[in-house]
Amino acid sequence: MDPPANRLILPASAGSISALSEFVRGGAVAAGIAESEFAKLDLILEEILVNVARYAYTPEAGAVEVAYAQAGGRKLQVEIADFGRVFNPLEADPPDLSRGLADRPIGGLGVFLVRSMVDSITYRRDGDRNILSFIFPIDGAPGV
Amino acid sequence: MNIEPTELEKAVLLKVTGRMDAENAHEFEQACDRWITNGTKHLIADLDGLQYVSSMGLRSFLSVAQKLQSASGSLILCGLHGLPRQVFEMTRLIGLFPVFETSQQAIATL
Repeated sequence: MDPPANRLILPASAGSISALSEFVRGGAVAAGIAESEFAKLDLILEEILVNVARYAYTPEAGAVEVAYAQAGGRKLQVEIADFGRVFNPLEADPPDLSRGLADRPIGGLGVFLVRSMVDSITYRRDGDRNILSFIFPIDGAPGV
Repeated sequence: MNIEPTELEKAVLLKVTGRMDAENAHEFEQACDRWITNGTKHLIADLDGLQYVSSMGLRSFLSVAQKLQSASGSLILCGLHGLPRQVFEMTRLIGLFPVFETSQQAIATL
């Protein structure tokens, strides 16, 4: 990541949600985030962390490495890397949001929400690492 | 997250406050399951104090609503605002639940 980033390594588990959030909020606050946008950033981070824990690592445990840097134009670039099996969450089919209550599938909403809240998100496999990189709009207007 | 139940004549009101995430969403589902097992048909979730919900929380709401529907009951939502309202709208889950501004309005429909 360029410019030089702040980095943190955490266990890939739901127990790391608040530590991950607190760390990335540091960068978002420095970039001028409004407090009302904290929850969106938290949501993105949680969904990615939970997916890594469940699909890249289960049943074994592992770590995630998170890094962030200001991306210019009131945007924050965040990268979340893990060392688990090859797993690209962006390949998942979009959920069918048109179904009624009885047959609405229960899963698949996490990645959908993440995509809706970021400017862009990419996946790459780099050696033994899965790396998800996203651009978060500090002013809460994705796609601008 | 805190869940405070109040038994009403025709429903149970669950006041949910705080943050519902991957770590604790199952607590909401378990609390609802206990009332469903006891024969409660209608659960009203007052979400005025809910500040945050992730997809794991949405799963719990959906799962509880499906169980109640198959028992000819319903999960009624009220007080949705902020990020929780946004995620219910973005996922179009909001159209699958009866939604009211206040718990009084929800109770009046039963």
